Amino acid sequence: MAYVLQQLLSASAVRFPEKTAVWARGRSLSYRELEERSNQLAHLLLEGGVRKGDRVGLFFPKCVESIISMLAVLKAGAVYVPLDPQAPVERIGYIIGNCGIKVLITQDERRRSLHATTRESLEACVMVDEARESGNGKGVVPWSALSEYPASHAPLVTLTETDLAYILYTSGSTGRPKGVMLSHRNALTFVEWCAEKFEITPEDRLSNHAPLHFDLSVFDVYNAIEAGATVYLVTEETALFPATLAKFIESHRISVWYSVPSALVLLLLHGDLKAEKLPQLRTILFAGEVFPMKYLKQLATLLPAVELDNLYGPTETNVCTYYRVDRERLAGMDQLPIGIACENTEVFAVNDKDEIVVQSGESGELYVRGPSVTCGYWGDVEKTQKMVVPNRFQPNFEEKIYRTGDMVTLAEDGNYSFVGRRDSMIKSRGYRIELGEIESALLSHPGVREAAAIAVPDELVGNRIKAIVAAHASESIEAAELQQYCAQRIPKYMIPEFIEFRESLPRTSTGKLDRVGLSRDSHPLAM
Amino acid sequence: MTTKETTVKDQIRQFVCTELASAKGIAVVADDESLIENGVVDSLGIFRLVTFLEETFRVKIGDEEISAENLQSVDMIEQFVLRKGKK
Repeated sequence: MAYVLQQLLSASAVRFPEKTAVWARGRSLSYRELEERSNQLAHLLLEGGVRKGDRVGLFFPKCVESIISMLAVLKAGAVYVPLDPQAPVERIGYIIGNCGIKVLITQDERRRSLHATTRESLEACVMVDEARESGNGKGVVPWSALSEYPASHAPLVTLTETDLAYILYTSGSTGRPKGVMLSHRNALTFVEWCAEKFEITPEDRLSNHAPLHFDLSVFDVYNAIEAGATVYLVTEETALFPATLAKFIESHRISVWYSVPSALVLLLLHGDLKAEKLPQLRTILFAGEVFPMKYLKQLATLLPAVELDNLYGPTETNVCTYYRVDRERLAGMDQLPIGIACENTEVFAVNDKDEIVVQSGESGELYVRGPSVTCGYWGDVEKTQKMVVPNRFQPNFEEKIYRTGDMVTLAEDGNYSFVGRRDSMIKSRGYRIELGEIESALLSHPGVREAAAIAVPDELVGNRIKAIVAAHASESIEAAELQQYCAQRIPKYMIPEFIEFRESLPRTSTGKLDRVGLSRDSHPLAM
Repeated sequence: MTTKETTVKDQIRQFVCTELASAKGIAVVADDESLIENGVVDSLGIFRLVTFLEETFRVKIGDEEISAENLQSVDMIEQFVLRKGKK
């Protein structure tokens, strides 16, 4: 039984050396090649100064080298940190500094885009493309250097399943992203459950639609590797165009698809999906946001033989509950449950009286217990202690449980349903967005006195974002200027699409921002 | 002919800059720049662009035409619209 993720690859490389492991942008790698390249890169990283537990950043668009790099970092005993290649360089610089990344696997153009202070903080950069001959700068290592290292075996590093495997950064309410630390055991708990639940076989062809800094990709990559199946990486250019994406699914004969619901809705509306063109497609998994019922019903009718599963879970637990769509019950449903706990995971709701919810119809905050629960947030003990708390419902031994912040209702049949958030986190296209992070970005502008970000519900993407801003009396700011300012600080999917200016923002009697009042009187359609 | 082409491109550029790029915090978009790589268009932006092209230039755009080949940059959108107009 595997206790670290890279063992999944080594096992498949023995069983299926010549089978295709990964395909991206017209290039593919066999299991033998993936095993050998990742061994070589692991040796290179160790020689370059990477030590057990060090964080190594991956900063380049999806390609076969992404998968080699993930596995190589693990084989070196280190922790990989996938960085959003589309994020502003200031945010990338923050993350590199926050978790102390000293070695970056990147591209020439992206390395050059980083602020000089960030570049200087790095000890080495491994280039997935060929860096220019001259002026490479300190510690730049070309990909071609891999060939000088042993391919036949990985370096000897002692690891246990409690060692960290990767850190995924998500939106943080205090204005800075936070790094969710996931161990090998955290990831394997999920991967092992999926392998069994969805019966992934060597014949399967998995898609990878989600970006690699998004935890949906953990299933795509590691469940493909676990089974000796093939994963087909969907690039940003393909993901944007539903008809192109539908052809991708058809031509690669994808059998298991996993994405956020909004991608499926666009495929449904503009992809000309037809069951007869997709005979291999057997399972569709979705997660990250609520699937609008109207479209789910259409999808279930359009692809009658495809199994549909709703997976639920914050990055801190990857997935903790699931609900398999029952077509016979679907017609009468107005909301899709998030379901019941995955194996080796326990979930329960805690009501206002701090009691575990047992009555059907009752609501509470969902808590998660088990080996999938995160080790916490990198470098943030306070936040970790707030969210990953001692289990006060079990007095016999010490253990931690995770408070999701999601309010759920328990149904008679034992399924949970999502009802809302305790805080101001929202979802848009499956991305977690803390409205507070957007507000911090706006407030850091010298001309802004007050700012509030609000979510405007949208059928296709879940939520769109608008901001209400009060400028300092002497200042005049334009929306476009403020949006450009935000673009230097937060990812594009977090930038308010519309900015409304007011003299001042409404406050409650206690002086807090009146969010309810704001959402009520602002004009949601003034987008 | 030149006047007409300039007009089409100007209208496209204007829409891309004021309606799409600006909301993403992008001030300047070159005519040959990839709107996908620079993040000017997202999944909703693509469809706003298509609706704009259909309404402004009275063309009908099929789902299969909503592709990187046709909508990658201001230049390519212009050529696509002009091709559609001739049909």
